[in-house]
Amino acid sequence: MARVAPGMKALDITDLEKRYPTGVEALRGVSLEIEEGEFFGLLGPNGAGKSTLIHCTTGLAQPTGGSIEIFGADAIGNYADARQAVGLAPQEPNVDWFLTVEETLDYHAGYFGMPRSERRQRTKELLETFSLTEKRDERTRTLSGGMKRRLILARAVMHRPRLLILDEPTAGVDVELRLELWHYVQKINQEGTTILLTTHYLEEAEQLCDRIAFIADGQIVAEGTSPELAARFDVPNLEDAYLALVGRKELSRSHIELTADEVEA
Amino acid sequence: MTAAQIRFATLWRRECNRFLKIKKQTIGAPMLETFLYITIFGAALGSRIKHLHGIDYVLFVIPGLIMMAFSTNAFSNNSSSILQQKFQGAIQDQLSSPASPLELLLAFSLGGFMRGLTVAVLTFVVSVILVGLPVEHVLVLVPSLFLVGFFFSQLGVLIGVRAEQFDDVAFAQTFVLQPLIFLGGVFYSAALLPQPWETLTRFDPIFYMINLVRYGFVGFTEVSIALSLLALTAATTALFLFNLRLFSRGYRLRA
Repeated sequence: MARVAPGMKALDITDLEKRYPTGVEALRGVSLEIEEGEFFGLLGPNGAGKSTLIHCTTGLAQPTGGSIEIFGADAIGNYADARQAVGLAPQEPNVDWFLTVEETLDYHAGYFGMPRSERRQRTKELLETFSLTEKRDERTRTLSGGMKRRLILARAVMHRPRLLILDEPTAGVDVELRLELWHYVQKINQEGTTILLTTHYLEEAEQLCDRIAFIADGQIVAEGTSPELAARFDVPNLEDAYLALVGRKELSRSHIELTADEVEA
Repeated sequence: MTAAQIRFATLWRRECNRFLKIKKQTIGAPMLETFLYITIFGAALGSRIKHLHGIDYVLFVIPGLIMMAFSTNAFSNNSSSILQQKFQGAIQDQLSSPASPLELLLAFSLGGFMRGLTVAVLTFVVSVILVGLPVEHVLVLVPSLFLVGFFFSQLGVLIGVRAEQFDDVAFAQTFVLQPLIFLGGVFYSAALLPQPWETLTRFDPIFYMINLVRYGFVGFTEVSIALSLLALTAATTALFLFNLRLFSRGYRLRA
């Protein structure tokens, strides 16, 4: 885990609200602070508001209330400075089918104003880091799911963001790739990049994150380190805390093991 | 270059790169279509009609075909590009960048503009070589073609942003744009039509665009050039400002 230097806030969300035109209230007064250099986990069931919060932070959704500051820049009013500091690896691999792997990285960096010589250097570096060099001239639509995941993460870090947002980055990827991705993300976190991670793999969150927040029904319901959250719900670990949050305590492994022991006895 | 200039140049490059990668479809097919029109209406019908308002029929038709090629390509490029990117989710990469609504709108607009211009210029060059197409009023022709291209680029952006499925784009092109273009006098003079068709033609905005371009090439018009240029400028500006407002609000682009 990275050492967290208190002071500068990478992300400062206050009373964030998002009501969709359909009337659905996806976020209901979310407040959240992430320190610079922190590895922060956002956990919650499907439909809790994780992706909406990420979309509001990155400009893909427009909040209907509250404020978002990214390294002190207003992400709604002064969005250019705020977005410049953020890299997003979305849940769905949203690659442009018309582009090659290399173009995907080059164009992304261009959208963030990176000069050509720097783009070339950075593209070469990331193609090697993510084992994409041999695929550099292939159209993105021909890539396998795993390769698309690599490309999405490479694209997200291409412009050297200070805050990297990973929305379920390891959903559906094999163990080897998952470990590769986590090694890379831990490395850049140790180098100073702040990470906001959403995942359904609780053991990943427990191992990687400095702090974790639980979101449910559009509200942050608990926040702290993994042991703090377990203590808050009076359970032995993060997974049980999560199950308590979603009201499914009966699924706890300790409960199942206890039941099995009772059967054997 | 500043960061903003690099950003805009990249957004624009992406749009041009897209149509150049599928140039058989985006350049080749419209060129073939235009030359089929020239062959059928110019050579075949032209051998019977000979002259219209004292102008060779083939020369009378070609300016309208150039305008039609420019407008339909500008429109279809932008509407398809935006809808495809929305469909793939790839547009999120641009929307989450620091690019302003103005930069995004201009880049999307200029992609279609460049495709339309490419087809129009190629058609013009070949027409000059094959049938000696003149340019009588270059100072009317250049701004007219620029405005026509930009107007339809904006229209393509508008339809692309509004569209939720490919059928929406096809509907606008097939049931609105094509009839307005064909009934706007590409192949004939409105003066030859019986009433009420002659009067109805004057309610078709594309009739005025065709006349502007035709005047620029062969010096013949059925409408006031100054008024048409003024109206086209006003319509293009209004559409551009409307689109800019949609982009600023994130209409159907941002949730």
